[in-house]
Amino acid sequence: MDIIFKNKRTIILGLLPALLIFCVIVVMPILRSFYYGFFQWNGLGEPIYIGFENFVDILTDKVFWSAFQNNLYIVVASVFGQIPIGLVIAIVLNKKLKSSSFFRTIFFLPMILSTVVVGLLWSTILNAQVGILNQFLKLIGLERLGQDWLGNPKIAMYTISVVIIWQFIGFYMIIFLAALQNIPTEIIEAADIDGAGELNKLIRITIPMIWDSIMAAVVLCIAGSMRTFDLVFVMTKGGPAHATELMATYMYNKTFEVYKYGYGSAVSLVIFVISFSFILISRKVMSKPEVV
Amino acid sequence: MKLNKKSILRAILFAILCIVGFTTLYPLIWMAYTSLKSNPEIIMSTFALPKTLHFENYVNAWKTANMGVYFSNSIFVCVASIILTIMVGSLAAFILAKFRFKGKKFVYSLFIVGMLIPMQAVLVPLFIQMRTLKLLDSPFSLILSYTAFGLTITIFILESFIKSFPDSIIEAGIMDGGEIRHIFLKMILPMSRPALATVIILNFLNNWKEFSFALIFISTDRKKTLPLGLYNFIGAYSSNYAELMAAMMIVSVPIIVLYLILQEQIINGMTAGAVKG
Repeated sequence: MDIIFKNKRTIILGLLPALLIFCVIVVMPILRSFYYGFFQWNGLGEPIYIGFENFVDILTDKVFWSAFQNNLYIVVASVFGQIPIGLVIAIVLNKKLKSSSFFRTIFFLPMILSTVVVGLLWSTILNAQVGILNQFLKLIGLERLGQDWLGNPKIAMYTISVVIIWQFIGFYMIIFLAALQNIPTEIIEAADIDGAGELNKLIRITIPMIWDSIMAAVVLCIAGSMRTFDLVFVMTKGGPAHATELMATYMYNKTFEVYKYGYGSAVSLVIFVISFSFILISRKVMSKPEVV
Repeated sequence: MKLNKKSILRAILFAILCIVGFTTLYPLIWMAYTSLKSNPEIIMSTFALPKTLHFENYVNAWKTANMGVYFSNSIFVCVASIILTIMVGSLAAFILAKFRFKGKKFVYSLFIVGMLIPMQAVLVPLFIQMRTLKLLDSPFSLILSYTAFGLTITIFILESFIKSFPDSIIEAGIMDGGEIRHIFLKMILPMSRPALATVIILNFLNNWKEFSFALIFISTDRKKTLPLGLYNFIGAYSSNYAELMAAMMIVSVPIIVLYLILQEQIINGMTAGAVKG
């Protein structure tokens, strides 16, 4: 059978189409952007080699650094928003209420919607004139809290974080729910016999037993938040006055609004390096087994 | 006493669930009934239910706002890229699962690393690449990109599924005089049906929702896909909330229905791929 399972021709022919598409669409562009990052190029004329100038410009641009900070802000807000809320919901749903599966369906629903729908829906909800949020505040007598939620540079970032949390809670809920269901019931029963309280069981048994899943969720959450682009692009385009600028919207604006392809490539490369190191570092840190 | 405490706790937990559940669901319900109101009604009373049902919002969105055209573009791009992904991906997954050769690990990890690549970091490079390939503003730019980025999860799921088939089945097929491509088409693919279903659903959802690639590749209005077409509303119809909501419903209802029917497969597929990656 070795002749068949080691047949070079079959192997090459079988892998070729997938490799070809993958290399042309994913690998090659990334390598090319390494190259174009060192050029000044408006997309039309000949690219002009300028060495590290693009990278120096990026790293000395205040807007880029505030974009980077906003990315970090989303990472922090997501890790401390999505994960605790997702965990609490998963713990509650795991109590086998009659309505558990109904709630599970609902909480995951925002995950399957297009980000454009989520962005536009929330833009309308938060809209100062027709939005239901300000109307709701008026209804309960808190009119003075009413805001131009996305138009006020001071709070736009908070608003966006809330929408991101809204969209992704369900995802983390499912991860934790799966982990919770893997805890052997005997352990919980034994604790019940010993007379352990709910809170005690939670802190001493449940959380340590699913610690690996929590860490995996943190890694996913960091990677996911570094990727944020669509939602912010749809809701604010990075404005007002760069208040919600992210690295990716910065890249988009520099490349497609002012046609600096060389500069855009360099930004892509910087984003690539930053995101990748974030992902790798978080994996390294989190994968250490802290509970044996 | 203890029982009482427990039931209070249960009530509190249930209340938390209801509040979070309401916050999750209400915006979508609001979208659904607002899509049937008239614009003056929306501005006058945001919360109120529609007095009469304005189905013409849907007709207008479908025709004047071009959602019909975007809808068929989306279907075409989604279906074409799924077919391509499955053809190319299942073949590669079969080879990676069952054949023995040097560099197998490298090829496998090359595809799987795709899961870690931050999508926005390839937008500009891919735009330049598509320009070189003269594919800008063509549906094929989307089909190729969706296929390339879909291959990762496709190969990941199919490879592990096919790996679990015993070699003896394939060997028996060969003993019977079957050629390897017949074995692939007549045995491996039909046996992989459950995994193929998951992969098809996942790719469909991802491609149906996708916005960034469409945004940078497609510029002609009649070639736009649904999310990109919907994005047009921001500029062109910014105060026409009734049609905006109807258009959003047109984009969302198909996947919500799909989700309600195939919930388990969708949830498992979306989380399994992420956790393992």
